[in-house]
Amino acid sequence: MKAPPMAEPLLSVENLQVQFRTDDGLVEAVRDVSFQLAAGQTLGIVGESGSGKSVTNLAVMGLVPQPPGRIVGGQVRYRGRDLLRLSQRELSRIRGNRIAMIFQDPMTALNPFLTVAEQMTEVTERHLGHSYRQALARSVELLERVGIPAAAERIHDYPHQFSGGMRQRVMIAMALLCQPEILIADEPTTALDVTIQAQILELLKQLQREEGTAIILISHDLGVVASLCQSVLVMYGGKVVERAESETLFANPRHPYTLGLLRSIPRWDGRSEQRLMAIPGQPPNLARLPSGCSFHPRCPYVLERCRRECPPLEPSGHGGDKACFVDVDTVHDTVPTREVSP
Amino acid sequence: MSLPATSTGPRDAHPAPGDSAAAPLLEVSDLKVHFAARRQRLSGPRRVIRAVDGVSFTVRPGETLGLVGESGCGKSTTARAILNLIRPTSGQVHFAGQRIDHLNARRMLPVRRDLQMIFQDPYASLNPRMTVGSIIAEPMRIFGLHPLRRQQLEVMRLMDLVGLNPRYLNRYPHEFSGGQRQRIGIARALAVNPRLIVCDEPVSALDVSIQAQVINLLMDLQRQLGLAYLFIAHDLSVVRHISDRVGVMYLGRLVELADADALFRSPRHPYTQALLSAAPLPDPVAQRARQRIVLRGEVPSPDRSYPGCPFADRCPIVEDACRQQVPTLGGGPHPAACIKAPEL
Repeated sequence: MKAPPMAEPLLSVENLQVQFRTDDGLVEAVRDVSFQLAAGQTLGIVGESGSGKSVTNLAVMGLVPQPPGRIVGGQVRYRGRDLLRLSQRELSRIRGNRIAMIFQDPMTALNPFLTVAEQMTEVTERHLGHSYRQALARSVELLERVGIPAAAERIHDYPHQFSGGMRQRVMIAMALLCQPEILIADEPTTALDVTIQAQILELLKQLQREEGTAIILISHDLGVVASLCQSVLVMYGGKVVERAESETLFANPRHPYTLGLLRSIPRWDGRSEQRLMAIPGQPPNLARLPSGCSFHPRCPYVLERCRRECPPLEPSGHGGDKACFVDVDTVHDTVPTREVSP
Repeated sequence: MSLPATSTGPRDAHPAPGDSAAAPLLEVSDLKVHFAARRQRLSGPRRVIRAVDGVSFTVRPGETLGLVGESGCGKSTTARAILNLIRPTSGQVHFAGQRIDHLNARRMLPVRRDLQMIFQDPYASLNPRMTVGSIIAEPMRIFGLHPLRRQQLEVMRLMDLVGLNPRYLNRYPHEFSGGQRQRIGIARALAVNPRLIVCDEPVSALDVSIQAQVINLLMDLQRQLGLAYLFIAHDLSVVRHISDRVGVMYLGRLVELADADALFRSPRHPYTQALLSAAPLPDPVAQRARQRIVLRGEVPSPDRSYPGCPFADRCPIVEDACRQQVPTLGGGPHPAACIKAPEL
């Protein structure tokens, strides 16, 4: 991802480090993550469970539970202010207002004891000083905008009275009430069926186009990221291992992990390969990270150096950045095919 | 590491995979599973959920039949009815020539030796208080397959076969990762040397890089042991990759059934077409070039009976005739339950 040449980016995360104290020891969930988001941009963050993609964004929102979590270092600059230094009070003026978030599971993110109207009106009453009447009108408007039929009546229903796809729409509508500049969507379609997923992605695209909302999309699904995002960060073991414009990344991945991910998923279009190129082994335990590059135990290109040193994120020479000592074009990989130990 | 092979080699009875002349191993005919739902009001009408509403297909020895569809389409209920875990409302299930849908638990037991299953959730489907060794040995004990002293050797052979280190025999499920637990579940299914394994979303709970490992394992085992799979999943890419033939379900019915290549290259039913067009591709360039059919609305509730095609309300090419009667799947190599299918 290249920063826009002149203006300061809307959001800039610099050297963010987050740790959790657990029974298993100190878990380094986010290790020195930096990225920037320009106004109106769509950024995808890809990674498997434990890659740190969700914690990074919880930190941006000031939602890391402390304890057991601790933000050890770094900055989250939004319009020049470091969100990590703000008081809860100052932060709550931005959160839900200028920066909003939607979650994977709308059933647990919505309060089951309150009607949608009660939950939605609270947002603009609080942030914009609306009266109940104004707030209700605004809420109905947004529900209509995201495609809820008979919104003026349905708004008085409880969350369980909506289907999964409709609940996700309700959550998106709620996030948009104050016209946020940044929408953080954490696996927004993972719980949904593919035809409903297509509807929600279409809706997010439309928002970005028409309102200029910047979107951070967190997903494990490379297809979902490819269909929405202009640029992509790939995370592994709490670090950013590759970043590039979406077209560059999917056509010409430079980090062995990104390459492995793309080779390990079958595609329903085109010819099916006889055998998938699986990445051997499994994602690292964040409490016991391997030395050097944390991908080295699974990497088919591993060098002696990779076991000792952690490669920095540097320009790959192909229009993006990668954190790897190896040029994947020049090395023949020997992919081991089995894993044996737990 | 190599361990002496015991009795679990490929059975002589297994014909060549995909041999279409072979008698079907599994034959499902007009299967219906209806559930009585609670009334919405005390005086309201009795509602019936038609979870599976007239499904017919066969699985041949050594082949993989994929079943795809969105949540509530009846694919898992179909699997449960085949496994005799729920009783079908009507229709028949034949396995290796024997009718099994009406068997009681005692008479079903010998069939279970040939008809095994792998579940979606590798955390919930293994007993946390049993060691891996005893989990894999349990089916052997139930069927009295090996003398006790041979069982451990057999367990180690199976662990090696599925890519688990046999040294971890005495460990408990929580000591293994999700992908490895799924391997344990596969070893347990293989312990009785089955001919057909019903796999219900076996990789959807796993991380992307681990999914590929388990898919490769399932395909390797099929080649080595001549297994047949009924593979149920919502992920179209995975289903295409692993299946010889694929059936698409919608609202309790099979709407299209064909060879995997034919189905994905030239889908005939408008629902299959919409499903494919909605499935994202990890390729922004191809993604932009694609025609999108974004379906309106959602899958309707299966508790109403429809006069016509169940897909009519969401279908982009619906016409009046579609609402008159339910289209049948028909025959031939690539049947589709749509009256407009021939012109598609």
